[in-house]
Amino acid sequence: MMKLKNTKAILGVAFFTTSAWLGIQLAQAAPPDPVAGKAKAAMCFACHGENGIASAPEIPNLAAQPALSITYQLIQYRGQQRKGGGMEGIAQALSDQDMRDIAAYYSALPPPPAKSGNAQLIEQGKQIASAQFCNSCHGAQFQGQKHIARLAGQSETYLITQLKNIRSGERVDMDGTMGSAAKGLSDEHIKALAAYAASLQ
Amino acid sequence: MKSKLIYSLMLLAGLNLMGLASAQTPAPAAGATPAIPPTWAQGRTPDGMNPSLSPNPPGITALPADEIPVSKLKVPPGFKVELWASGMPNGRSMTESPSGVVYVGTRFTGNVYAVVTKDGKREVKTIAKGLHRPNGVAFANGSLYVAELSRIIRYDNIEANLDNPPAPVVVFDALPKDEPHGWKFLTLSPDGQYLYFQIGTPANIVVPPYTHAAIVRLNLKTNILEYVATGVRNSVGMDFQKGTKELWFTNNGRDWADENLPNDTLNRLAHKGMNFGYPFCHQGDFLDPEFGKGRSCDEFDKPEMKLGAHVAALGMRFYNGNMFPAEYKGNIFIAEHGSWNKTKKSGYQVVRVVLDAKNKPVKLEPFITGWLEGESFWGRPVDVQVLKDGSMLVSDDETGAIFRVSYNKK
Repeated sequence: MMKLKNTKAILGVAFFTTSAWLGIQLAQAAPPDPVAGKAKAAMCFACHGENGIASAPEIPNLAAQPALSITYQLIQYRGQQRKGGGMEGIAQALSDQDMRDIAAYYSALPPPPAKSGNAQLIEQGKQIASAQFCNSCHGAQFQGQKHIARLAGQSETYLITQLKNIRSGERVDMDGTMGSAAKGLSDEHIKALAAYAASLQ
Repeated sequence: MKSKLIYSLMLLAGLNLMGLASAQTPAPAAGATPAIPPTWAQGRTPDGMNPSLSPNPPGITALPADEIPVSKLKVPPGFKVELWASGMPNGRSMTESPSGVVYVGTRFTGNVYAVVTKDGKREVKTIAKGLHRPNGVAFANGSLYVAELSRIIRYDNIEANLDNPPAPVVVFDALPKDEPHGWKFLTLSPDGQYLYFQIGTPANIVVPPYTHAAIVRLNLKTNILEYVATGVRNSVGMDFQKGTKELWFTNNGRDWADENLPNDTLNRLAHKGMNFGYPFCHQGDFLDPEFGKGRSCDEFDKPEMKLGAHVAALGMRFYNGNMFPAEYKGNIFIAEHGSWNKTKKSGYQVVRVVLDAKNKPVKLEPFITGWLEGESFWGRPVDVQVLKDGSMLVSDDETGAIFRVSYNKK
């Protein structure tokens, strides 16, 4: 059964004058603050690292992830649309501003180093990436953009788990884009793609 | 039995995709690369359009009311636009109940909202959470109908229970589960007998299974589903015209053919069984570069009006209210969500379509602009809803807000 919760946002009758709006626009929310973000991210360090390099292969590196990509994932964890690693619980306590600050901190860190691997597997992954148009969204060097994750230098184990979960529907993707991308991939394809992504910086 | 048939047809479509993919991409080492590219990229060719184009981040948060720059919105002289409600992450399709409650569906957050006005104050209630792409909302006989991705559900006696809504009743769940273009727009027929909604094509451009790329209607008495239009790529906005009682709808054109082609369209369903051409012919006169081979646009029904390429024409309503000036009576308002598959952005506005005495669209002009500033946008209109008082609401899934346009009679 669905759990229902009423969000109450009482709005006054919204007749604003132009001058009121000018005043409001001057007082917009604080821009993302990487310094505040570092303090707020302290609870993330044990797993994701102070330098954004994860402490275990099943945990994603966050260093140099696009800020919006981190924010979007946190929002989806908070809304219980994405689950895993206990993140759906941790995100409950975060405000939008907390998320923007934490994202600003991690996105400004130097990217994870490229990992060497089986050259043949990496080359195969590159071909698969090209046939699947991965670069269109994830960038020429898999550096990510906007809300789209950086894959370069990411943990292979993490990437393999995520692609398999997206393929099976266990991880519901935001708009169906990744679901359709993963649908045609075999386990071997996924392994090769992960090796290729990890080999980039 | 029927679902088996649907499934086998979808498999068939998958085979078509494989054929298409292998024809397009250079032959890789055997078995090295997967056969099916992601749906949004199908139809893209190496020599084609700007390859760095990719879908916009969907709006999944709500801006606080005092951060929404409503003063940037421009409307014609005499009209006023104001912030009407906020705090609805990803709020999209709207419907107004007879008592004046406005229900709002979502695509990404899984919520349904109710906006209740009491003593001049508005309150936003989240009446459902955790639904799967509950984009469509319609109100009939005291019940709220919600279209999720693959089923229609109903909340009975909802208005007496907005603070503690009942568990929904499943009305119809034998619908395809494809994610691409799987979210639905829902509307009630004027006689109250049918719910109309679309089943979008499961990719950008593909020969769809006959179950897809269509507009259907569900008989609320018999629970029988009927196809009323085919060859419709994806319609996320429909309304019945007063008087003729004909269904008009918007349709989103394919991507990756050209920056300026094909157009999104405004269409009229003059009778059941019309075919609007997808995937063979777009906008009534543009043969698909690939699927159009050996076909003719003469085989298909034509749209009433071209709306521009990639503008993402979504919600549309006829204006039957009494507040706007007389020349607006019977006009159509369309919310353009805005482009992604185009280097120079277009859309991101609400347009007005004027019909002549013969019921033909003759004029298309911007009505609300200002969401787009240069090449960046701060909001994206999704649906329009004319309220009983004659004012018009516009939902924006980027800011999670609803704006209201009114006209001040002198």
